Order: sequence, then C-alpha cells, then structure tokens
Amino acid sequence: MAAPLTLLLIVAVTIRAALFRSSLAELIAERVEVVSPITAWKRVVEGLALLDLGVSPYSGDVFHETPLIIYMFHFLVDYAEITFMTFVFGALCVCICFFFIYLSLMPFQFRKQKFALEADRYPMDSLELIRSPKEMYYVPLKVAMFYLLNPFTILSCVAKSTCGLNNAVLALFFLSTIKGNVLLSAIFLCLATYQSIYPITLCAPAMLYFMQRQYIPVNFHRVSFWWFIVQYLFMYLGSLFVLICLSFFLLGSWDYLPSVYGFILSVPDLTPNIGLFWYFFAEMFEHFRLFFLCVFQINVFFYTIPLSIKLKEHPVFLIFMQLAVISIFKSYPTVGDVALYLAFLPVWSHLHRFLRNIFLVSCVLLACSALFPVLWHLWIYAGSANSNFYYAITLLFNVAQILLVSDYFYAFLRREHHLTNGLYLKRKDGSEATLILK
Amino acid sequence: NINPCVQIIIHLLSVISQNSAGQFFSSGHTNNWAVLVCTSRFWFNYRHVANTLSVYRSVKRLGIPDSHIVLMLADDMACNHRNPKPATVFSHKNMELNVYGDDVEVDYRGYEVTVENFLRVLTGRLPPSTPRSKRLLSDDRSNILIYLTGHGGNGFLKFQDSEEISNVELADAFEQMWQKRRYNELLFIIDTCQGASMYERFYSPNIMALASSQVGEDSLSHQPDLAIGVHLMDRYTFYMLEFLEDIHPASKTNMNDLFKVCPKSQCVSTPGHRTDLFLRDPGSVLITDFFGSVRKVELTMDAINLTDPINPVNGEEQKEVYSYADQLPVSEIIHQKPKQKDWHPPDGFILGLWTLILLVFFKTYGIKHLKHIF
Repeated sequence: MAAPLTLLLIVAVTIRAALFRSSLAELIAERVEVVSPITAWKRVVEGLALLDLGVSPYSGDVFHETPLIIYMFHFLVDYAEITFMTFVFGALCVCICFFFIYLSLMPFQFRKQKFALEADRYPMDSLELIRSPKEMYYVPLKVAMFYLLNPFTILSCVAKSTCGLNNAVLALFFLSTIKGNVLLSAIFLCLATYQSIYPITLCAPAMLYFMQRQYIPVNFHRVSFWWFIVQYLFMYLGSLFVLICLSFFLLGSWDYLPSVYGFILSVPDLTPNIGLFWYFFAEMFEHFRLFFLCVFQINVFFYTIPLSIKLKEHPVFLIFMQLAVISIFKSYPTVGDVALYLAFLPVWSHLHRFLRNIFLVSCVLLACSALFPVLWHLWIYAGSANSNFYYAITLLFNVAQILLVSDYFYAFLRREHHLTNGLYLKRKDGSEATLILK
Repeated sequence: NINPCVQIIIHLLSVISQNSAGQFFSSGHTNNWAVLVCTSRFWFNYRHVANTLSVYRSVKRLGIPDSHIVLMLADDMACNHRNPKPATVFSHKNMELNVYGDDVEVDYRGYEVTVENFLRVLTGRLPPSTPRSKRLLSDDRSNILIYLTGHGGNGFLKFQDSEEISNVELADAFEQMWQKRRYNELLFIIDTCQGASMYERFYSPNIMALASSQVGEDSLSHQPDLAIGVHLMDRYTFYMLEFLEDIHPASKTNMNDLFKVCPKSQCVSTPGHRTDLFLRDPGSVLITDFFGSVRKVELTMDAINLTDPINPVNGEEQKEVYSYADQLPVSEIIHQKPKQKDWHPPDGFILGLWTLILLVFFKTYGIKHLKHIF
C-alpha cells in the first residue's frame, strides 16, 4: 500500500503546486467560503507586519490567530514558497495521519467483531453485514484520497488558510488517540482547543475510546471510570494552562485572550461565510444579542452528552459525528472544516445499504458549492441579488450537511440494531416487520 | 533737455501706473478653473442638468476654456428617449435658449458622477491613467468656481439617488485643497434644497459660498415647459443666468451684485452667502474673477518701475496673512528614519517551548532515544 499512497501524495502535491503557481491563488485566497477572519493568511501577514512595526498584532480587529502561530510564521512570512509548503505539509500530515489511523483501527475492529462472532452475539442472517478484511483493505487509501483530492482541501491549501493547520492538529490528536497514547492525545487535543475552542467537545469520545481500549467499564458508579476521567482531564487542562502561560510570555501581554477566544465566542465580525451566524447577527437588536449568542454557541456543545450516551460503544463514530457538528455549527466555518469530516466517509461505506438520502445530499452539496461563487458575484459585484440569496445557499449547504450526518447516524444505528436482532425482522406472527426511527 | 511740465506728467503717469499696477495684481490669481456638477439622474430632474449646462455656457462664454472646466453630468438629457427635441437642453420655456449646443464637453458622465470621483477631482488624487480632461489641474494661483446642483437636505447632497456627500466631507476636501495649495480663491455655489447647510462647515481660508436656500427651505423650480413636460430650470440658477447674460469679459460688476440675485420675491426661498472666510472685501471681487478667465492685458508705452513693493489698492491694514502649512520635512525623514527591526520572540519563550516539546517526545517514546542524539 505504500506505492499507491506515494503516488497519491505526488498527485496531490502537484495539483496544489500547479494551482498555487497560477493566477487563481490570489482569487482563491480572497473567497469568503475558503478563508474566514480567523484563518485568513492575509491577516497573518498583517499581524506580523504590525509586530515588526512595534505594535501589538492584536490591536485593532485584524489578527485573530494564537501566539503560537505568530511564533511559527514569523520567520516564514516573507517567503511565499516556504509558507505554501508548510500548508501542503500540513495537508499531507493530515492525510498520512488518517491513513495510519485507519490502518491501525481496522485490526482493532476486526478483533472486536471476532469476539462478538465467537460469542454468538450475531444472529445468523445478519452475517452479511459483517465486514471482512478484504473489502476493508483499501479503506485507509480511500480516506487519504478523499482528504487530499477533495476540492475543498485543495482550495483551502492554495489559499494558505490556517484551517489546514487546525486540521493537522486534529488529525494528530485522532492518531494518538487510536494508538492509545493518552498523554499525546491530551496534548494534541489541547493544541486543537487552543487554536479554536470547539474541539473541547472531542474530550468525551477520546475518553470513551481509551476506556474501551483499557477495558474500563463505562459506569458512573465505578471508581476506575472517574479515576481515568480525572487523569485525562488533568493532563488536558494542565497542558492547556501551560500553553496559555507560554503564549503570555511570547508577547508579554494577555490581549491575545479577548482577540482570539473573545472573537470566536462573541462573533463581532459578520463577514459572510458558509456558516449560520452572520446573517442572524447582522440584524440582531443589541438587546437580544447576548441571548442569541449563547443559544448559538451552546448549540455546538449541546450534542456531546446525548451523542456520547448513545454511542458509548462506538467512540470512533462519535468522533466523526462530533467533528461534523463542530464544522457545521462553529462560528466561522470554512470549507476546510467541512473537508475534514467528509474524508471519513469511506470508513462507513459498509453502511451504504441503509443510507436513505445520499443522492439528495450529494446533489445539494454539489449544487450549493457551485452556487456560492455565483450568488456572491450577483450580490456583491452585479448588485442584482442581495444577502438573502447568499444566505439561502448557506442555509441549504448546512441543511445538506446536517442531513448527511444524521443519515449516517441513522444508518449506523440501524446496522447495530440489525447486528443484534437479525437482518430480516419478523413480527411475532411471522410477517415481515418494518423499522421506524422514532 | 525735457520740458519740466512733461517731466511732471511722466512722473504722475508713472505713479498712476504704479497704483494701477497695484490694482493690476490685486486679485492674485493667474488662471481660472470651474467644476460644475449635476448630481441627479432621471428625466424629471431635467432642470438640474439644465442648471449646470447654463452655468457652463456662461463660464465658457466669459472665457474659461474647456480644458479648464470639469463638467460632471449624472444623466444625459439631450439624448434621453423622452426628450421631444433630441440633442437640445432648454433653459427657458418656449425653447428660447438651448444650452446644449454642439460644443459641450462633458468630462464625467452618467454613472461616473459619484461622490468618490467628485472628491478625487477636487483633491487631485486620481489614478495615473486618468486623462487630463478629467483632472482639476489647479495650482496655488487658481481661482476655482464650484457649482453643485441636485437634491439635497440638511447637511448633505444626494448623488445619483444612491449615495450622498456630507457638508463635513466637502469642508475636509476643501481643506485638503488648501493644504495642497490647489486654489487661490474658491467660489462655491450650490442650488439645492437647504443649500446653506452645505457651506456651514467650511473652515479653510479664501472660500466664498452662495446657496439658493437656507436650512429648512426648499429651492423651487422655475417653470415647466408643456412641450417638453418637465420643469426646465431652478429659480435661483434661472435668475443667476439672467444676471450672467449681462456680464461680459470687461464688466466691473462685483460680488455684492451677485448676492442680490434672486430675492425672496422671485425665488420664494432666501438665498444665502458666506464671506467670513474670504480675505478680500466682496465688493472688490469682480464677477469675472471666478466666472471668466480674464487675461489682464494692459498696453502701456511707459516703463514701469517695479522695484518698489506693490501696495494694495485700498491702502487698509492687511488682514492677517494666512500661510500654507509647513511642507512635510522630507529630508529629515529620509536621513533619520530608524532602521526597521524585525520582531523576534523572546528567548524565554523559545526555551520554554522547545523544552516542553522535548519532554513530551521523550515521555512518549522513551529515554532510550536520548543516546542517539548525544
């Protein structure tokens, strides 16, 4: 599998380099769907220029990156090629992580399946639902391909949006979780949270995965359960504390806290993007602003507990769902965030017989992606549309994403149900039963 | 041996010529410019285009060439589909006076008439590709006439039905012109509703302003023409055009007469003017100082002794002389600017960060790798 992977990497790097060299690079770097006020490269350059002039980069509303990004880029910002290569490297890093994730995930899952088979937990007619190593052989390569050759990632990389670095950190977190390294997983999760606040919700699936791996039962009355949670949270919060103090020492001031976290949470910049916040808050009365801000932000974190309770046996799927929820409901989403969870879809390809809305979802996603630049042009340049048009497409895009995620959720649960109860369900009198999701 | 009488006469003549030499140079300007702007579009705002074109006509007739006139018309009335007499714009009913003619040069037309373009013309900050006909190439010896007409309100003037310029912006633009030495004296005339509000905020020296109505009053239009179907002119500009038709390049009419144009009985609104920023007495300012491009030529057979300083004609106390702001001390800046230092992260930070990274690395992968490094 090394040869196809290498070929894939070469193709991906070539595409990105070719696009970067062409005149499209500046065009793409300004698209609001690809860059947001948090991730735009233009703002990084601006912030570092301010720093060179002796002014704090966080003064004014320009720069919203964390101090570690300042440290990472302050040498590189003058050299366009090298910075571009860092982003390509970030993308490759993600894909390699995903590759190894699934490479190591598969034996684990097959082992689980084997135990369940031997314990006769699966009824006879659901055997066709069981995954075999042969059909899953190419899944890691497919995941890598889905990530690298996804037009969203290519655009995000060519635009030099720091979303690529966020994705890289999240992928490293995922990899270290799968490999079983608690400390590294806590540290990478802390880095991801440090960049944007939302990955904090990934604590729950990470903890569930470790507990499953170490055979700690998920029971509120067990000491070992709470003890593990305390350990993990201690490592996580400790490294977060260390990182924040270290960032203080970079510039000697705390004003990165309101600029980065205050900006993400209070959403002052209402530039249109593919998310849901900007349109609402553009016409919000000041009196209600705080209330709706809380509502929208809680929406991101709210799904963690119910989903973890439902999916406590399947933490990997929980990570997928959680990443999707973050990408849809975060305050400044970009297509790079969308691409991160879209890369996981080949892993659940065995669910295809239970997916009901795939055609609709894929059509809507493709249509919306095509319509974004069109309606933007009509609104901003031609003046014959207005923001409602663009927001309609944004809404539709998010609805399609939500539909996709809920469809996979439904298919996953349905497969689990069939695995335990048999594929062809019969009622008590022997006639065929239908399954309804309530 | 010259006759002493002749000597006295020659001496007298030279004294007189020196005095008239003083009068010759008293106005201080050497060239004239005009910026004439009509800010409204659509057929029913025909009268604004007619206003601007009639001022254009007067100004051109009195000598300012097209190269020194920046004419901005927001819509094309002469070739409008609804014009029953195409290629004409009339300023008087019964089609007495066609102000369009065949030698009208419009510099900014249609959608090019925007607040941004207007301010750029005034301040001179145009892109390098702008042709000369679209630039106001005035210098510190130019007298500029600025005429604005359209729909306005208290403190603003509407451009093209979609944007507006405020009196503060206009005042700041004039101050920029003053600081860049782009005018000697400026005459600002505005014919809109509540026009006096537009000159309230001026604060640069040497500006005289006239408006067709006070704050709270509307400027009214003059008369409709039933054949064309719209009002042809606004009252203030109509009476001003009548007044200007009597001016010829050698007229000695002064600004006080212009202030009397269109009293309340004719105009219904009260025209206003502002002269507190203007250095000279308005009574000594000729109409042709702004509306015409009068080249002062005086034929003389005598030699005039110019070594004595020129005395102003009035002989009054000179008012306080306004001087231009200091130029930017470029030489100081060039030689004394500190070299820009790049920012470097503090050493403690680098140390701390890399120690942490190494710690994590060794914790994860074991101390056994240490011996490979050292």
